[in-house]
Amino acid sequence: MRPILLQEPDPDHFAGHERSLTQIKFNREGDLLFTCSKDSIINVWYAHNGERLGTYDGHNGTVWTIDVDSSSRFLVSGSADNTMRLWSVETGKCLFFWEFPTAVKRVAFNEEDDQVVCITEQRMGHQGAVRVFEINRDGDGTNQSKEPISMFNPVGSKAVVCAFAHTNDLIITGHESGKVSLFDAKSGEEVQLNEHAHRDTVTDLQLAPDRSYFITSSKDKTARIHETRTLTVLKTFVTETPLNSAAIAPGKPYILLGGGQDAMSVTTTSLRQGKFETRFWHKVLEEEVGRVKGHFGPVNTIAVSPKGDCYASGGEDGFVRVHHFDETYFRAKPYGDLEIED
Amino acid sequence: MAAANAPKTSWADDVDEFETPPKGEDYTDENGIRTTVEYTINDDGKKVKASLARRLENKITRKIKRVLQKAVVDHSVAERKTWAKFGLEKGSKPGPDRATTTVGENVYLKLSAGNKSSEPEQSAEQSVKASLAKAGAGKVVCRLCKGDHFTAKCPYKDSLSGLDGTDTPPAGGDDTGAPAESSAAAPASSIGGKYVPPSMRGGGRGPGESMGRPGGNRDDLPTLRVTNISEDTQENDLRDLFGVFGRVARVYVGRDRETGAGKGFAFVSFEEKSSAQKAMEKTHGRGYDNLILSVQWSQPREQR
Repeated sequence: MRPILLQEPDPDHFAGHERSLTQIKFNREGDLLFTCSKDSIINVWYAHNGERLGTYDGHNGTVWTIDVDSSSRFLVSGSADNTMRLWSVETGKCLFFWEFPTAVKRVAFNEEDDQVVCITEQRMGHQGAVRVFEINRDGDGTNQSKEPISMFNPVGSKAVVCAFAHTNDLIITGHESGKVSLFDAKSGEEVQLNEHAHRDTVTDLQLAPDRSYFITSSKDKTARIHETRTLTVLKTFVTETPLNSAAIAPGKPYILLGGGQDAMSVTTTSLRQGKFETRFWHKVLEEEVGRVKGHFGPVNTIAVSPKGDCYASGGEDGFVRVHHFDETYFRAKPYGDLEIED
Repeated sequence: MAAANAPKTSWADDVDEFETPPKGEDYTDENGIRTTVEYTINDDGKKVKASLARRLENKITRKIKRVLQKAVVDHSVAERKTWAKFGLEKGSKPGPDRATTTVGENVYLKLSAGNKSSEPEQSAEQSVKASLAKAGAGKVVCRLCKGDHFTAKCPYKDSLSGLDGTDTPPAGGDDTGAPAESSAAAPASSIGGKYVPPSMRGGGRGPGESMGRPGGNRDDLPTLRVTNISEDTQENDLRDLFGVFGRVARVYVGRDRETGAGKGFAFVSFEEKSSAQKAMEKTHGRGYDNLILSVQWSQPREQR
């Protein structure tokens, strides 16, 4: 595979500047790739050739998180400037913004695209909060309600990642302590919890296409697949490096894991340059089946195209690498005739 | 004319010289296979014919792919291709811009069964050995025990301190001469003239013991010293054992450097003192893996 490298040019320097990626997302058809990073601009790229379609300008700080709806009409983003913004995907215009007392760490659309859940950080005397907003899809999208339809403060360890579960009534959260919970979206009641899902901060949470299970990655060097309804841990993937992101490859029984040593421990650990590969693990057999090298720093975020023909990884080094799978990927049968239907 | 060009060896080359170098061929057959023939002249002045047959993989293929996508996928993708650029890209011409988009080096994804993480990496020593062997320098032989490793890495370095003692003759002959001389010439210090790095002088702290430990100094956290554990106890076993009392910040199991087998002690750091206290009360004297655990507060280094 020849990866396409995407990097935002810095107007002040000849070399592209190094801004670490925070999240990347494909749209539903997999033709657009949205990236956000620690500078304040969100980019959108054509996935097939790496052409930059445009940028969404307006945030005033690190953009921590983005999500795009299934019809590629609205983009929602959360930033360290304490705002969540709604954008028109096509024109790059900011349609609406919500202001909070603290930074927005995670946003996610629901399956019907009419609600957005967001997490705001716990800081400066403010509790971490999970809010659900209704998205008015009529008209041009500028007519939104300022008030959340529900809001709650998870007690205990703060929530860092979230998503809508299989129904809109439930929200999955991943916490700093390693806890994974299901909250009632209306009442804020903790319906289910798995206190010891991970031993350290949950860093990423991505759902299977049908939302029946999801994968979490953690700083405790493991990724786990959980059943959404019961939060039962179905599979555990144990690696030798803290993980920042985990993604499920549609159509193939693989998951993709990305991570890497913290910058401070890189020089003391391994001669091999840092373990910054994207690792492919077999989803069912819990074995590593392959690796892709490339990044010069830890991999912060991974996304697989919903079509399963392409994946992208964003690193601390400021590069997004878009990989279109070779024919060999689709033909490969690492376990012989043992085929697992998805 | 040919005589003027002295290095000519064959009349065939002369003939070629009169022709302009061929431009190369480039054609595409009905299967979409593009064949490129290029001619280059190498250092010997001989013509080298490079024939490259490869599948069309630049813009043209992409166009074909796009057509296929349109047939399979809905209109939205095709429509999005026609969107005008916006934001910082406003007004840019279509096609990837080299300032933002480059094509990386080829990477390989080889999917195969078997856990890669369990495969040992080739250590630096192994790679040095391999390159030495390749260069014809012969095998690496330890001067102390004649083993297959560098002298500095010898496991019997302490017990067979042959190189340091003045009574031992230089066993290896020529190549041990230098160290033997230097140790004889050096004033006989307490450690026998061996170079001691500053960090190891006076006290024998382990190298870099106080640095590079993620999470700061271990004295900062309430730490328990667990002794009388079995050899094959792993970090995870202890995490499981002590995790029930509170959040365990760190587990360190003392191991033999060579064999990796446990030495029978471990340090377990908790995040909270109360949970450490509770863990100590509950586990001290408890049987674990056929042995009776002994759990005490870990003493800071200076007091031991």
